[in-house]
Amino acid sequence: MATDRRTLMSGGCIAAVALFLAGSTLAHHGWSWTGDGMFQLEGVIKDIYLGNPHATLDVDVEGEIWRVELAPPSATARSGFTEDAAGIGDEVTALGNRSRDETEKRMKAVRITVKGKAYDIYPGRAPS
Amino acid sequence: MEFLQAIEQAEPVRLLKTSFLAYPVVNALHIAAIGVLFASIVLMDLCVLGAIRTAQCDPLVALLRRAALAAFPVAVLTGASLFSIQATTYVRNPAFQVKLVLIALAGANALTFMVLDRGRSSQAWPRLRRMLALASILLWSAVLLCGRLIGFV
Repeated sequence: MATDRRTLMSGGCIAAVALFLAGSTLAHHGWSWTGDGMFQLEGVIKDIYLGNPHATLDVDVEGEIWRVELAPPSATARSGFTEDAAGIGDEVTALGNRSRDETEKRMKAVRITVKGKAYDIYPGRAPS
Repeated sequence: MEFLQAIEQAEPVRLLKTSFLAYPVVNALHIAAIGVLFASIVLMDLCVLGAIRTAQCDPLVALLRRAALAAFPVAVLTGASLFSIQATTYVRNPAFQVKLVLIALAGANALTFMVLDRGRSSQAWPRLRRMLALASILLWSAVLLCGRLIGFV
């Protein structure tokens, strides 16, 4: 009967979503997905995204592309890190928290350093 | 993909991308539209399921259906605006993909209900009615959850 199939199908969707939720412990909003302790990464900027909902850098670290998450655009700009601050090909040092899932090449930066200048993306979290 | 890249480069989209105020406003409107849509749908479904004993369902459904049909295009437009900023990224997001499929299923479910409901008394098809209402609650809940997950996968 068509209705039973429909009910089954929606049940299946809910189950899929639940599994999906259970399997995904990574959250890129906030800090829940990041590990404890400071992590530092050095590489070459491959891509810069300065926009909503938050800015990101793609950084080439010895041939591996890392995703470095920054803050929402306004907070990122407040740190001084604007379009003029860095370009593709610039060397960057990012200090922050890496993903708790260490198979993932992803971190959230509290401070990034480009061309000798440090930008405190999250001043409250950046070490003094 | 080229089409999505072109969307990202469009001037109003670029403005929204870096805006301080417009983005959270569009975001808030999206949430407001979802709030109206979800609340009205769940209330309609609960009434059909017999969970709201104090209310007469026919006038309630007539009112809430108008609210839902008004909120849906607002949710779609604001959602499309949020999507446009990073269209090429969101299109690959599994939560976003599942969400679109679930919206299509939930929409088909709602349309089926409205077509069958037209010009018929609710007593004429009580069993299927309740099944569609239950499916509606489950599907729209899953849509909500998938939407929330977009930022977390």
